[in-house]
Formats: sequence, structure tokens, C-alpha cells
Amino acid sequence: MNILVFVKRVQAAQEEELRIVGDGERVDLSKLPYKINDWDNYALEEACRTVEKLGGQVTAITIGDKEADEVLRRSLAMGAKDGLLLEKPETLLDPVIRASLAYNFLTKEKIKFDVILTGVQAEDDQYGVFGGYLAALLSLPYVSLVCGIEEWSGSYAVVRRELEGGLMERVKVDVPCVLSIQTGINEPRYVSIMGIRKASQIQRKVYDAHQYMDGLSATIEVIKWSYPPRKEGATLLSSDIDTACREILNILREKGVYQ
Amino acid sequence: MSYGLLIADVRRNVFQERNLDLVGFCNLAGIDPYLLLPKGEYEIESSLFKKVLIADVDEDRFLNPLIMVHILEKVIERFKEPFAIVLSASASGMEIAPYVAGYFKVPIVTDVADYDKDSKVFFKSYYSDKVFAHVKLKEEKFYVLTLRSGSFKDHIKSRYEETSQEIIDGFADTDKRIFLGYLEEEKEEVDITKADFLISIGRGVGKKEEIPLYEELALRLRATLSASRPVIDKLWLPKERQVGTSGKTVKPKVYLAMGISGAFQHIQGMKDSECIIAVNKDPDAPIFQYAHYAIVGDMHRIRDRLLEILKGS
Repeated sequence: MNILVFVKRVQAAQEEELRIVGDGERVDLSKLPYKINDWDNYALEEACRTVEKLGGQVTAITIGDKEADEVLRRSLAMGAKDGLLLEKPETLLDPVIRASLAYNFLTKEKIKFDVILTGVQAEDDQYGVFGGYLAALLSLPYVSLVCGIEEWSGSYAVVRRELEGGLMERVKVDVPCVLSIQTGINEPRYVSIMGIRKASQIQRKVYDAHQYMDGLSATIEVIKWSYPPRKEGATLLSSDIDTACREILNILREKGVYQ
Repeated sequence: MSYGLLIADVRRNVFQERNLDLVGFCNLAGIDPYLLLPKGEYEIESSLFKKVLIADVDEDRFLNPLIMVHILEKVIERFKEPFAIVLSASASGMEIAPYVAGYFKVPIVTDVADYDKDSKVFFKSYYSDKVFAHVKLKEEKFYVLTLRSGSFKDHIKSRYEETSQEIIDGFADTDKRIFLGYLEEEKEEVDITKADFLISIGRGVGKKEEIPLYEELALRLRATLSASRPVIDKLWLPKERQVGTSGKTVKPKVYLAMGISGAFQHIQGMKDSECIIAVNKDPDAPIFQYAHYAIVGDMHRIRDRLLEILKGS
């Protein structure tokens, strides 16, 4: 099984305060650390487990600036055999361009694969477009929100995909195909700093993204940033922990859920 | 008047309420809503739609993106290009929309929470709802859109005394992807949808070793412990404890959210709780927008102090 996994280097904003600069011109992300996109990490883990079981190889591909090489080294440390960087110094905000660039690259370089895995979405822009758009360009079957892979055969896979309210569906899909992987499908392995250092010695291949950008231009633009619209807001409890805890207990008693 | 082609979100013969947001968007944008449905018995309010197009296909094949693109080809052949193809940002919308956009090579904006008709700007969440981007299309051509559930409900209105119905057939089929059946979660002893008091923990919990202390807190407060997606993904609590769109929708008397930032999918599952108390160290966490009471602070310190008080009393 020859599996390509698209991985993205994103800024870790989950636990951080974000500030918008000026009159909504940009979001200040300068102090945020970088990491592999959470969804892509699960996709990579699933790919590594699959080749460990069935044989074959995993190739990690990323689109980004030089620093994006970091997620390739991490992918190699997890078990990928190759790492390919499509180097593009400028950020590509439009998911359509990212998917089209990936399509041009795969076809022009005649990259061989049986399956492409991607995360369902990136935690920075939350578009969730890349996998599906790429699948359509490649004229390949697509399944998204994949939360379990039950069976691989040479010609098809049986997967589970997540729906709403705890419901799932089982889908049989022809291989080659593109699958977008949902978080929780597995437990990604721990990657040590030593492992990443060791993986640094494996040669990664760098391609100039501009060579594959012919005829591509952004279909959307972000003209401004703003904070989410404010709702009524909550009553702020005390900043003193002891007082706040006693206030919580009072609310619980008032609501009749604790005596 | 141009039209919006609305791909209905249906599941197990139920026309999902979130489809009404698609109507709301069309009304806001000043375009006629054309609803596209699979054949079957669905309860719909036809006066909301200018046309109802019935694709000659069963629900499970209708929801297959590989077949949907061929249905859409036929629709476009008959009615010309729409103003936009609009879907709900749901499990089916998230799958069909990007494939459709890629097939027709058109722009796509997903999870749209608002739209300004005059400037033609879409409002879209980034970074887990911490900021919103004002997104504009570079060119005026048809595009694909997914809408956040509940975002356009204020614009829903019945506008049509007569709604025409048409059958869409003769489209290409494929068996490259086949629906095999549904799987329900196994029912466990704990049903978080029936609890009056939920203590719900999120990503902020940090590590697995902290979980037993939250279980102890829940036990002492006679609450039920639930969680947001990151905790469930790490298998620290079983799936049936998950609150959110892919988990359970809950409406307890009290929902004590600890270390939950408030991703939209989680909010959808708990926003109707009678009283929401949120604890988070980030004062800008989106959950505070939905909470009745807020504590900006460390969830573990709050937990430890609560346990001390409870043990002492």
C-alpha cells in the first residue's frame, strides 16, 4: 500500500488569546508556536499503522515555507519513508489553490499512490476543503470524516464515517481514493525529540511550488478580520478561587442540583 | 431572478431542520431557493421554495458526492448555473461541498456564519471561533457554500404561493463508492442526555492522570461527567460521554464546562442548557459567550478547591 499523507504546519491557537491588529487588517500570531495540524496527525498515524500491517510505504507531503520542513521531519520520525516539501514562501489562504497546486504537483511529477489521506480540516482556517477538492480534480472516489478503516483489499476499502449524534455509516470505496480522516480514529504515537533529530538525517525533497502554479490564482480573499459578535455575556464570578468556588456551590443549590 | 441551488441535508428519511438556514441565506441574498431532494417521503414546507427538484435516486445514493455531481450537471443543464450551490455545514455538507466545488472547479467558502448582501462578504470562523474572516470572492461567478446551522434562521420566511416540482433524472451513476449501512453506538449505562447536572471537561484537562479527580468531583457533587471532543478522541472517557454535534445534545439544568474553549460543534450540543457555568483560563474563550456564569481561571485549581470544600463540609 502506497499512501500519501498531506500534512500542514499550523499555529497552535487553541489555548491562546488572539489579537486583531489595526482596523482588522491582520491577526497577530507572532507569539504562537507551530505544530502539525491535529487532524493530519491522526491521518499520518493511520497511514503508518496501515503500512505496518499491510506493507508498503507512507510519503508525507506539505505545502509551505522552509519552516514547514519541521512537519516532514516529524512525519519521518513517526514512520513515513519520504517527505516532500512544496515550498511556497507566501501563505496560501485559499483552499482551492492549495488543492489545485497539489493536483498539479502530483500529476506533473507522476507521483504514484494507492490512497491519499488528509485531515478533515486544518485547525487554523477550518475550511475542510482540501481532500474533497483534490479528489474531484483527480477524478477519484472520496470519503470524508473517516473514523474507522475496517478493511483494505487491493481494489477497495471499507470505512466508517462519522455523522451527527453518534451515528456512523459504513462505506465501501474503490482504491485508489482520497480519505479525509477525523480525529479520534486512533491514538497517535508519541514522537520524541530524539526521533525527530534522527529523522532529520533522512533526505527530504524540496520542490518549488511556483513550478506548479501555472494558471492558478486565488478565488477568494480575506478583506478584514474581526472578533466574533458578542452576545449578552456571562456574569463574571470572583477572581478569588475560594470565593468563586463558594459562588458555584450557591448556584448549584439555587438550581436544585446539589444540596 | 437568479437562484440558489440548495442540496437538502436528509438522513434516514428526515428532512433536517438545518436546511432552513439555506432558505434564510437565499432570502438574505435576494435569490430564489430551489431545493434539491432525493425521492422519498419528506416533510417540507413547500412555500419556502420556488422550486422543488426531486432527483430520481434514493437517499443513500443522493448523499454520495460521486453521484451528486452528476445530478447537479443535469440541474445546471436545465436551469443554467445557479447563483450558488448551498449546503449545510453538516457531515453530508462537509463531504459533498468540496467535491462538488472541485468537480466544477469553482470557489468554495465553508461554515459561513453570516453574509452581507451589499458588500457580498461572507463571515467565516478561523482558529476555533476566536476570530472571524471577512471573505470575498475574487470574481463574480457561481460558487459553493456551506452554512453554519442556525446562522440564517432570522431570514427564513414563506414567500411562494405556488411551488413547482420537477424530476431530475437521466444522470450518470457510479459504484465506486457504495453505502453499506448505518452503525449506532452501543448503548451504555450512562446517558448524559438524561442528567440534570453535567460537569463537562475539555482540552484544558491536559493529561489523563487528571481525569480521576474530575470523576471524584462529579461523584461528590452528584453530577454526571461528560466531555468535549478532544478528551473523547484521546480515549480518556468513553464516546457516549461526548457532548456536541457528533456526540450528544444535552439540556441539563446545570452545565459546568471546565477547560472547554467552545468550538461551535460543542456549543451546538449544549447551548440550550438551563444554566451554563464556564471555567477557562482564556478570557476570550468562545464558551463565555454562551455561559450564564464565567470564571476566568485554572480549572484544576477550581476543582481542587471545590474538592477541599466538599470534603471539609
